[in-house]
Amino acid sequence: MSFMPPFRTFFFLVLALFLFNWVVLVVFPWTTLGHQAPIKDEGSGDLAPWDTSGAAHQGERVYAADGCVYCHTQQVRSASSGADIIRGWGTATDASDDKKQVIRRTYPRDYIWQHQVFLGNSRNGADLSNVAERFPDAAALYRYLYDPYVLNDHSSMPAYRFLFVTQKISGQPSVDALNLTGADAPPAGYEIVPTPGAKSLVAYLLSLKKNYHLPDENGPVPATPANKS
Amino acid sequence: MSASPSSAIASRGFASTDPELAAVDASVRWPVMICFLTSIHWMVVGTVLLVYASSMTHPQDSIPILGLFIDLSQYCSFFTYGRVWPAAIDALVYGWATTAGLGLAVWLLARTCRTAIFARGALIIGVIFWNIGITIGLSGIFIGDSTSVELLEFPPYATWVLWLAYALFAVPMVATYLGRKPGQDHLAQSWLLVALLAFPWLFATGTTLLGNRLMPLSLNTNGFADASWSGSLPGSGVVQELVSAWYVHGIFTLWLAPLGLALLYYLIPKMSGLSIRYASKAQVAFWTWLIFAPWTAVHDLVGGPFPADTVTIGLIFSGLIFIPVALIGMNLVGTALAGEARQGHHGGVVFPFLTLAAFVFVAAGISEQILSIRSANQLLRFTLFRECNLFLWVYGFFSFAAFGAMYYIVPRLLNFGWRSALLIKAHYYASLYGILLVLALLGFGGVMQGLALENPDPHISIATATTTVTLSYYIATTMCLSLISIGNGIFALHLGWMLLDWLRLQVRRNRLASEILLEPYEAPAPAESSKEVSA
Repeated sequence: MSFMPPFRTFFFLVLALFLFNWVVLVVFPWTTLGHQAPIKDEGSGDLAPWDTSGAAHQGERVYAADGCVYCHTQQVRSASSGADIIRGWGTATDASDDKKQVIRRTYPRDYIWQHQVFLGNSRNGADLSNVAERFPDAAALYRYLYDPYVLNDHSSMPAYRFLFVTQKISGQPSVDALNLTGADAPPAGYEIVPTPGAKSLVAYLLSLKKNYHLPDENGPVPATPANKS
Repeated sequence: MSASPSSAIASRGFASTDPELAAVDASVRWPVMICFLTSIHWMVVGTVLLVYASSMTHPQDSIPILGLFIDLSQYCSFFTYGRVWPAAIDALVYGWATTAGLGLAVWLLARTCRTAIFARGALIIGVIFWNIGITIGLSGIFIGDSTSVELLEFPPYATWVLWLAYALFAVPMVATYLGRKPGQDHLAQSWLLVALLAFPWLFATGTTLLGNRLMPLSLNTNGFADASWSGSLPGSGVVQELVSAWYVHGIFTLWLAPLGLALLYYLIPKMSGLSIRYASKAQVAFWTWLIFAPWTAVHDLVGGPFPADTVTIGLIFSGLIFIPVALIGMNLVGTALAGEARQGHHGGVVFPFLTLAAFVFVAAGISEQILSIRSANQLLRFTLFRECNLFLWVYGFFSFAAFGAMYYIVPRLLNFGWRSALLIKAHYYASLYGILLVLALLGFGGVMQGLALENPDPHISIATATTTVTLSYYIATTMCLSLISIGNGIFALHLGWMLLDWLRLQVRRNRLASEILLEPYEAPAPAESSKEVSA
């Protein structure tokens, strides 16, 4: 049985097949997506998207270290290719004064500032592309990370209590201290405060908000406010 | 002289009857055995971690003892789900499948080339470094240095060790192949060579483009001009996810699948005594697999923020994966079934593993085929179906091929038999029903989860989707994994028992040899060896 061409022919054939796949899958998208810049708004002169704070970038490391990506995605598919928009994962409130809602899928340009992109492949949990929209402030996120069962008794999300420390109140209570009641409440004279890791993680989560239009991808900004769903 | 040592000696006779092959087997004994033993160690570690991680997705009050685990995961960052799960998958993919695969590849290459392996010492050093690398990598994940890039979670300080270790493996192996005896060509060799060439290409590219993101890129924090510059860094923006998808599916389709197929193409004809059915299609199957299978990477990209052209081309190519899957199925399942028809289902206790591996390969191929249909992909891509797909490749196809091969190889390396046919059957049935449950519950659970997530009713939230639909399937996952882990545990204990007996035999033999030097030789009594079974 002689199945094989000479080793050299075999080697180059295999290499050519690897390369074909690599070029179409990685090199071609890289040439088109690897050099995207933010878009300047003609009216206000704002750039969108804009870079997040340093704390948010540190939060990416916490997000990676504790493996949030194994249950949460950060991508909203278009209305024609999934129910993501219907689930409300593509909804964000515009930062400008008129508080219009931006409801859209995510585009490659949305991710240009992230050091590490966490698109994710599993939706055991909710999509986090616009998580800042659903959690009004840091306190609500701290509360949720400390005890996810407050919102859903059967939540499969683990509690991240190792991101918090219990400490004795000396003088004034901390501004960040969690407002806990019932079984979670700390003993009298003590408070539960987030660690630096939790603070940067929450800063990162609060930066996740696609509340701007990308005219190149999405068409011009709609003149009338979008309907609330 | 007592009767037992002499009967133990007389019962030996598991080495290949072909003296040339016996010599080849003897030359690779230690590198291969070290690979097998360490890989089984990682299999046990990975399985335990996986069952633990899976049980953490249950609601807090479902099983009383879980409370302890869950408290542990809440207060100790080492045991949080997001660290245990990737550690488990990496322990299985690199610790178990890849280490075992390297050992199997060494044996198979030496066998098919009919030459002693080149630079055996390098292989032993390689496997030691490989295990050190995995230990460092897993520790890195647990202490919080995980990169959270799927299958590349090992921090960069571990990947260099793995790289070096792999080079110590691959170079002697390619050298062995090039120095083979003339005329020793086997189809299994082409699958093996593809695996050996693909892994460094995948691993080097993946770690170079994705592994170095731990270094903070302070360059792009101060303005517009830097945005395009940081965008041109290797693997930045969504291009990272393209590389990641390419890597993950490359590991399945260009590394684990070719290794397993090489074993099946060699062992199924060897053990059944039949030639491969439809052998003229085997080469077409090989090349079409190389053309179509890597495109399964786009299954993780459909609908995402990527160029539509790339996804469409990818779906067209990966949609043709049924061609190689069907041809390979005709080759392997056809031959395996013909073999069973001749020998009966338990003509050998080991052969059913290979039949099962061939069937699971087809099942995994069909699951890839389903994912390459755009609408099915939209429904299934974020669900348990993807886990089902992963388990079919790693736990299903590759593990069964490896188990069948190990049951065949270890007696030939040690010249010593397995201890119990019952344990092999128990392992087989635990694995069989485990993988059937994976298919039934995770596959079906994935569809149910998908239907909940893609339901056009806006009142369904992720909380209702999880609580009402998916929760029972999380528990089902733990059940499947527990059953598989029982089978794996039986295998590990059986191998341990065998090694212990083998060591005792060596000690006895040495003692006997020293007695023989002092006493005149007596012919040993006829053997009574019903306990050991030959593979």
